[in-house]
Parts: sequence; C-alpha cells; structure tokens
Amino acid sequence: MTLRRSWTLRLLAQACSWLVASLLVILALRGAEFDLGALVRSGPRFAEFFSRLVPPDGSVTTLVLRSTWETLMIAVGGTALATLIGLPMGFLAASNVVPPGLAHATKFFLGFLRSIPLIVVAILFVTAVGLGPFPGALAIAFHSIGMLGKFYAEEFETADKGIVEAVAGTGAGWLQTVRWGLFPQSVPQVVAFTVYRLEMNFRDAAVLGLVGAGGIGYYIQLYVRGFQYEKVAVLLLVIIVVVAILDQLTYWARRWVR
Amino acid sequence: MASAATPVIRFSEVQVLFGKTRALDLEDLEIFPGERVFVLGHSGSGKTTLSKLIKGRLKPSTGFVRVLGQDPAAGNRRRRRRVQRQVAMIDQAFLLVPRMSVVGNVLTGSLSRVGTFSSLLGWYPAEEWRKAEEILEEVGLKGLGHRRVETLSGGQRQRAAIARALMQEAKVVVADEPTSSLDPELAEDVLDLLVECVARRGVTLLVNFHQPELARGYASRFLGLADGRVVYDGPPRGFTEAHGAKVYRSTRASGPPGEGGGGREDDFAPKLDTPAFGSGL
Repeated sequence: MTLRRSWTLRLLAQACSWLVASLLVILALRGAEFDLGALVRSGPRFAEFFSRLVPPDGSVTTLVLRSTWETLMIAVGGTALATLIGLPMGFLAASNVVPPGLAHATKFFLGFLRSIPLIVVAILFVTAVGLGPFPGALAIAFHSIGMLGKFYAEEFETADKGIVEAVAGTGAGWLQTVRWGLFPQSVPQVVAFTVYRLEMNFRDAAVLGLVGAGGIGYYIQLYVRGFQYEKVAVLLLVIIVVVAILDQLTYWARRWVR
Repeated sequence: MASAATPVIRFSEVQVLFGKTRALDLEDLEIFPGERVFVLGHSGSGKTTLSKLIKGRLKPSTGFVRVLGQDPAAGNRRRRRRVQRQVAMIDQAFLLVPRMSVVGNVLTGSLSRVGTFSSLLGWYPAEEWRKAEEILEEVGLKGLGHRRVETLSGGQRQRAAIARALMQEAKVVVADEPTSSLDPELAEDVLDLLVECVARRGVTLLVNFHQPELARGYASRFLGLADGRVVYDGPPRGFTEAHGAKVYRSTRASGPPGEGGGGREDDFAPKLDTPAFGSGL
C-alpha cells in the first residue's frame, strides 16, 4: 500500500468516526428533548431568580453553617469509611496481588456497587436506619467504595513488578511484600484519588438532605421550593466557600505526598 | 546445613529451554561456601538464567538445582520462601523501593525475621535497627539513612542495594552486573565493598560480570558462559585471552536476528517467569 493511499484511507476513517459521533449526539439531544427555544424563553425567569438572590438574608447564616458542617462531616466520615474498606478491596481487585480470578470477581463486585445511583442507596439507608446524617454517611461510603476500590486496584497494578519481586525475594511474606514493596509506590495516587473523591462526596452529600439523609440538602429544597431566594443565596455562598477551601486543601495534600 | 565439604549450590544435568532455544545447558556445577564466582559472558549467554535458577524464579526444563540441599523452586509458598531468603539478589537496576528512606529499604531485608503484624506497622525490633545502622556504616551510607532513595546518586543507590542484601543475612549473594550503571571509577569502589562485606560474613558470592580484567582481583573462580554452555571453569589466572575470545566472540548460529542474541533472555524470560508474586508467592 502506498503512503498516499494509507493516508487517504485514514482520512476517510476519521471522517466516518466524526459522522458516527455526530449522529449519536443528535440522537442524544432528541432523547433529552433539547429545545433551544424553551431555553431562550426562560431567560426572564432566570433573571428574576438571580435578581431575587440579593440581598442575601443573613438571619439564616448560623443555621446554614451548622447544616453545612453536618454535610461536611457526612462527606469526611463517608470518605474515611470508604477508604478503610476500599483499600483492602483494591488489593483484592489487583491482579498482581491476588490470583487473577479473584481480582476479576472483586472488580465485578466493585462495578456493581458503582452502578447503583447514590440517591437510591441513600433512600435505602434512610429507610433502613432512619432519618439523619448517619444513613447519609453510610450511603456516601457505600457508593464511594466502588470507585475508590477500582482506582486503587488500577494504581496497584501499575506498580513496578521488579521492585515488588525484590522485596518478596528478601523472604518477606505476602502482606509484608504488599505493605513495603507495592504500597509505597502507590501512595501519591491513592491520596490523590481519595481527596478527589472527598471533594465529590461533599457535593453529593449536599443533595442527600432531599431524601432525609441529613445536611444542607434539606434547606436547599425547603428554600428553593419556598421561593425564598435570599436564603438560597446564603446557602450558595457557603457551599462555594467550602468547595473552594476543600479544593485548596486537597491540592496541598496531593503536593505533600508527591 | 552445609559444611565446608558440601556445595552451597549444585546444578545437575540442568537444561533450560525457551521454546526451541536452549538458554542453558550445564552438566555438573558445584559452588562451595565462601567462593567468589564471577560469571562471565555477554547478554544472552545464560548468566541471568543461571541466577534465576538459583533464586528459584525459574524451573529447569531437565535436571535439578539445589541450594543448601533444597530445590528453590519446589514446594509450597512458605517452603520456597524459606530457601529463597537464603539467596540475596542485587539487581543492576537496584530495585529499591521509591518514596522510602534508605534505612526503610535496608530494614526491608529483615522482614523475614520480623513478626508480620509489627512489621506491617513499621515497628522493627531494636536488634534490627542496630544491625541496619551498622550495615549503613559498613557500606559508607552513614548519615544518609533518612534520605529518600530518589535523592541518592547512582553509586549511593548501589550501596543501599548492597546494604539491603546484607541485611537479609543470606548464605548466598547474587549480584547482577553490579557496575553496569556506574562510572568506571566507582566500579572498583563498589566491587571492593561488595567483596569485603561478603568475605567478612563468609558467604558465597556470585557476580554476573562483563569485564574479566577488572574481575581478576576479586574473583576466586571464573565461570565463562557462551550460548548457555560452560566454556571456562577455574581460577582467574587460568583464564586466557583465548578463553576471553570464546566467551565474548561467540554468537548463535541459529535463532532470531539480532547479533549475539543481546537481550534475548529478556525477550523470553518473562513468559516463563513465575508471575509477579500474585499466584507465585
């Protein structure tokens, strides 16, 4: 095949993949009943929403701060629990740590955990445990294990095999080899994934209150549905500040463990 | 355990085949306690295969290997580990654990002697700390124990790898081309150190090596390999230029392209190797 011919074929192949992708996007837009007109027509209502955010109603600040704190604790507690369970799951899902059969089975199980939507998990835990932040934290943990376990396992699998073998070769046992040969290589990524998940979990936890699982979500629905936008403004401000602080903290954490 | 008369390592009619390629073909080979054997040969001559057999990472296709009277590749995980811990490996790439301090890496050598639970927490007995600090001083890394291995120079990393191997208190030390990634001036320092440390402990040393002239001062025995066969076995002074030519000029008549089969062992070995330590360990 001449150079020119293979070049032309590649161009054609690229054009085809663009075509297929465009078709998929069009299908998706139709499926979502995408309507540019409706978006334009809703402009005034957006404008009203934003104009009614000011001036923020400072009287709810204490209440909002307290429930934001609760949300933060749900996120931290849930992430901690998920890390505690996710790490062993990660080892059990890494094909260079356990036999490939077990690793595949664990990966499948983690995929199953990931596939249940958080809101369903939350409703389930609220039904079982009762209202409040505790079922919220449990739901966050349950949902995070699936993702964290998978990321941890993939990170463990990239560890340098020679180094792991060198540690095993000193006569170290299986657990010792994992702890002192494999794990040190993965620490930066493990921390990066965990704090990233913590950020996501704070935002997830913020809506858990909608189903009675504690935190700021309860007030979000209360004020938004009650058209009390000046109180919503306080909520949004507090959330934005907390997310920004979390962002900075996790950045430092990632840098620190490099 | 082995007395002076019984060999530490014994190969009997060992052949290693990678597909149709014969990587190693030994008749009888015995290595005795305290010997310093320098294995000479170019890449693909069977040197790496030889050390893998000793470490039990490879099973011979025919014949048998004995280390301290035991088959290093046989039996369950626990039994294999007991034999394998008697062989300390120093890889040419050092294979130190990154993001860990020098002393952390050295203490790793003691893991087989430390209880699992306390070692998982990083709690090593005072006795092991004393040994680790003594060894660090012995290899000339005193004062650098707290440094992360990434911050060390090549020569210092090689010393750290030697220290970890010494910490293992093995009966056999196998060094794979210990000077290949070092400057020529450093090469002699490292060889001096390695041979001294090993002699002090009276353990057996095997070194895969490329430079016969440099090795003369350190070896008690040369083993010349070419195309998987022993072409010289004896004291260094009997190793003549003719032998050198045999070891370093030979090329395989058959086999895939690539002169002299450089890196051939590496091409074949991973497939036959026991996988990482997942199912192997």
